[in-house]
Amino acid sequence: MKEVLAVMYREFLIRRTSPLWLFFDVAVPLLYLLMFGVAFDKALGLGLAIGGDSVSYNQFFLAGVLSMSCFGSAMNQSYGFFVDRDNGIFYEFLTYPMTRGQFLLGKILFQCLMSVVQCVLTLVAGVLMLEIGIQWEFLLLVFCVVIIGAAGWFFFLAIFAFLIRRNDTYNTAINVAYFLLMFLSSLFYPLENVPGWLKVLSYGNPLTWQTDALRFLTIGVGQIEFIVIESLCFGVFLLVSFWGAIRTLQRAI
Amino acid sequence: MIVSSFVGYRGVNIKRGGGKCKGGPGSNFPEMLVDCPSFSKPQRHMYDDTTAIDVVDLLKVFEKKNRAAVRAVDYISFRVRRGEIFGLLGPNGAGKSTTIKILTTLLPPTSGSASILGYDVVSHPLEVRKSICVVVQENAVELYLSVRNNLRTFGRFHGLTWSEIERRADGVSELFGLREHQHEKGVDLSGGLKRRVQVAKIFMIDTPIVFLDEATTGMDTFNKRATLQAIREESRKGRTIVLTTHMLDEAEELCDALAIVNHGRVIAAGSTDNVKSMGLRLLNVSLTFERLTNDILRFIHAYHPYKIETSDHSIEVKVREEEAALGILAGARQTGLLRHFEITNASLEDVFVELIDKKESVTS
Repeated sequence: MKEVLAVMYREFLIRRTSPLWLFFDVAVPLLYLLMFGVAFDKALGLGLAIGGDSVSYNQFFLAGVLSMSCFGSAMNQSYGFFVDRDNGIFYEFLTYPMTRGQFLLGKILFQCLMSVVQCVLTLVAGVLMLEIGIQWEFLLLVFCVVIIGAAGWFFFLAIFAFLIRRNDTYNTAINVAYFLLMFLSSLFYPLENVPGWLKVLSYGNPLTWQTDALRFLTIGVGQIEFIVIESLCFGVFLLVSFWGAIRTLQRAI
Repeated sequence: MIVSSFVGYRGVNIKRGGGKCKGGPGSNFPEMLVDCPSFSKPQRHMYDDTTAIDVVDLLKVFEKKNRAAVRAVDYISFRVRRGEIFGLLGPNGAGKSTTIKILTTLLPPTSGSASILGYDVVSHPLEVRKSICVVVQENAVELYLSVRNNLRTFGRFHGLTWSEIERRADGVSELFGLREHQHEKGVDLSGGLKRRVQVAKIFMIDTPIVFLDEATTGMDTFNKRATLQAIREESRKGRTIVLTTHMLDEAEELCDALAIVNHGRVIAAGSTDNVKSMGLRLLNVSLTFERLTNDILRFIHAYHPYKIETSDHSIEVKVREEEAALGILAGARQTGLLRHFEITNASLEDVFVELIDKKESVTS
């Protein structure tokens, strides 16, 4: 455990010295909610009809922002591997008295902590500033989904961070992936009325699975059977990504 | 002096000294082992209290797409004893760093085995990592953390308590002249300072084995001397130090034992003195005259020197026999023109160049 805490301590020190990083982790999702969300909410007026329910765009978009912030901060964290690799410390880490799994676990636990802080801030902003009604009884489950989501995306992105040697290539690949994953998902719009091909692609996207689960838990939209299946799929995605991250880390020299 | 056992390399035999210790049938060990210990056919990771590192038939092949595979390490074997300063020397691309990466669990070998304090680097990597600390070739410093926090995080990773971290950080800051740079961030440090921070970290902890890959690169003379002195002190306390360096004078001064590698193979190994004597045992005779005359050159040539170089009023002669060196000196005195003379043994660098050259010519 002390090895994992040592990794977290190191992450904490680095974040503390970089306000820009902290801004990206904490403030960007909030800005999305308060600017993009509010603008769309006004543009759509009466809101969105989903499965017979009518919800405001602010309500709908809240889960999307939570998912987006998990993905964004995982992207940020995985990019840290390039910084470590460029300054050589990455190779030194791998000779420290800990397993590769403990190294990744320490990083992801810190990331999960950050994601929960982000989640709290987003929910508070949503409730207080946008008057979104939230199912408070599911709050702990919301945190769980946020933590599992952040871990899944971190391990998934870490695979590419270990495989790709150039950070410009990684940046391009990840930005393209970010764009596609965001727009081929239920993050910005409901999938009920989108074209068939878009629907198929979107339901194969782990970002949709995570967002749907968060939407169900925060505002109660969605069918429980479907959410359970999507959650199981995300669990598989997390495990496969973790396995892939460990494998690629072992070959990352 | 503690002497490292030369446990050989595939395909090349070196005969030296008195007794013989033969490798068993099928073993890759040469006929003669320097200071051969009590094994005739080495077993994998035969562990005893004196062995720190045991490398047997280590092979590392890098497969490249659309290119021929590269044998970075080609069946090398050596053993390092506890408390020894062991130098792994060789030209660029010889396989030193790859060997260090395997020993420090960064890379898996293609075949063969290596153990640290009896722990196999492949099957027990965590135990190996608990026994070692490493200065990698890159300037591995946390760029966004202060010097002090670099030391702190390193201490935390190695399980030190907070109070111990602060106490030791004070000590190494003093030792490496880092006190006035404590609050500077890694990104703001010069290359030499970054290296100092990196080397200082190994003195924060007490792991029994230390790997230093080009540790003094980029340091100024004073800091280099202080670092070498500190390394020597650590060795006296019983820590085993394995270092790679291009600075052969540094290796000669510091190392108890050496292995010279080229093209992934060990071409010479043993105690530093033994390796030095593996060359042609040349003696350097340096003579400075008031003026050089043809008579002087003629009598020197009569001794059939291995090599002769002249510049202005000086001559550098390399001879194999002591008698020749003394004869040249006597003749030089008789000319009445001799102003300065010096007779020295070949340096490690001379032997290194000679061994590498010899191996290259055999290969070609």
